Amino acid sequence: MSEALLQARGLHLAFGGVKAADGIDLDVLRGEFLAIIGPNGAGKTTFLNMATGYLRPQAGTIAYEGESILGLAPRAIVRRGIGRSFQLPQLFTEHTVLENVALAVAAREGVWSPLRPLLRPAWREEATEVLARFGLATLAGARADALNEGARKLTDIAMAVALKPRLLLMDEPTSGVAAAEKMAIVETLARVLRETGVTAVFVEHDMDVVERFADRVAVWSQGRIAALGPPGTVLADPAVQREVIGIEGPGAAAAGLPGGIAAGHA
Amino acid sequence: MAGWLEQNALLLGLALLDGLAYAALVFMVAVGLNMVFGVLRIINIAHGSLFAIGGYAAASLGLFLAARGLPDWTGYVALVLAAALVGGILGPVIERGVLRRIYGHEQVLQLLVTFALFMILEDAQKLIWGVQPVSNDAPLRLLGTVDVPFGEDVIPFTAYQLFVLPGVALATLVGLAWFLRRTLTGRVIVAVTTDREAATAMGIDARRVFLLTFTFGAGLAALGGALASPTTTLVPGLGAATIVLSFAVVATAGLGQIEGAAISALLIGIGRSAAVYLAPEFEVVVPYLIMVAVLLVRPQGLFGVVETRRV
Repeated sequence: MSEALLQARGLHLAFGGVKAADGIDLDVLRGEFLAIIGPNGAGKTTFLNMATGYLRPQAGTIAYEGESILGLAPRAIVRRGIGRSFQLPQLFTEHTVLENVALAVAAREGVWSPLRPLLRPAWREEATEVLARFGLATLAGARADALNEGARKLTDIAMAVALKPRLLLMDEPTSGVAAAEKMAIVETLARVLRETGVTAVFVEHDMDVVERFADRVAVWSQGRIAALGPPGTVLADPAVQREVIGIEGPGAAAAGLPGGIAAGHA
Repeated sequence: MAGWLEQNALLLGLALLDGLAYAALVFMVAVGLNMVFGVLRIINIAHGSLFAIGGYAAASLGLFLAARGLPDWTGYVALVLAAALVGGILGPVIERGVLRRIYGHEQVLQLLVTFALFMILEDAQKLIWGVQPVSNDAPLRLLGTVDVPFGEDVIPFTAYQLFVLPGVALATLVGLAWFLRRTLTGRVIVAVTTDREAATAMGIDARRVFLLTFTFGAGLAALGGALASPTTTLVPGLGAATIVLSFAVVATAGLGQIEGAAISALLIGIGRSAAVYLAPEFEVVVPYLIMVAVLLVRPQGLFGVVETRRV
């Protein structure tokens, strides 16, 4: 069960003098929900970008299901089964919610028949079914630019799920969502991902969400993984707490972790 | 005022009919230009040359078929066939050979490259068809004229310009609206126009969409030129005149829905014809006066949306 789906070894990437990845080693285990936390600029999104082909590491390897995906284009990585959702939902605003999801189904199927409708019965049915899982059925006919932020986030993730990934990387799935809606959204997406057997990695700033939904937490700091383990252990670590307070507290600029933190790989 | 209207009623009627036919042609070019820009993000200065080459190819093919003694109706087949050939060959050649290399580059470079392409196509056209006027009005004559009642008078007008040109433009408008709003390919084109990154992230092959859109736009321009060929004498410079006018239409409409391009083509087409009949010295500037007037009031164009784009 605890077999690695994604394996990153020795990832290095520097932008000018800034080390966004400074030796990242990480195994994402099949079936787990792995949360990534850490201050802004620690390299969390950079890691997602390297794993999905948007950035190429200067050194190191990334393997998915035992095969290297280094140097593959984002499109090719999507086709292998690694989905991605972005901090800002990438919806097609000219399309309805149903069409957005149907486009994802179409993209997955890769069918090219110029004059056939997008909403052909099979795709409409599948898209409707995906929306129902996310509790979005009533919004199917709404234009994507008319949605509130929570519905936009869920639609974005519904599109990612419609691509039938085995691994889904999500960049702050609840950012910009009203606090009251937050838990309901994470609950919905966690339920759907468990039902569909998708392994998930998500960047998250809300520690309540992390504690409740993550199987493991990885703490990012200055391009390194400073701590890794179950949320109960990792979040109780005083050094991590400082780190977390550094990002949550107003005015407390994250000065980065002191070197003394235990980098324990679980 | 009433006296002036009475005196010029016939001219106005003629300007309206002429303008409608002209607007139909301009629409075919402008809608393709608009689509290509929406998807590829490149302003293709050579787009008008495809109109010109479509016209020349249609006239030559029509004359060739007629010289072989083929029946007259094959002249109409020649129009469509020539447009399909020009669009189907030049479209992919230009997209694959030239444009693909400059996607995402600075706009200045893109403008220079498509301007160079425009000059090459203009010269190629002179090389093939020479600088002497070329004309084949057989498709126009074949359908004869219709007497259009206008008040107490009738205006004799060619059936080709009265029915065929607006008919094809209307069919293009309706067909394109259906294509973009219902079909998979159309929805993918709109998706790539809205957000190319997101479409690529989903696994959509944007390059294929670029090729298809450009070929389609090139085909529409060539079809416009082919349909125009029976109504005019083809001379060098047609491409330049066409692209400038299409820019005026696209700028007036804004990057809007295709219906917007149609309405703005009507506005500019009829405005221009009115000038031809009533104040010929202003013929050339009227389209731009309309454009400037619209842009002064609505900088994003009549139907343009500031924050999001539509095709």
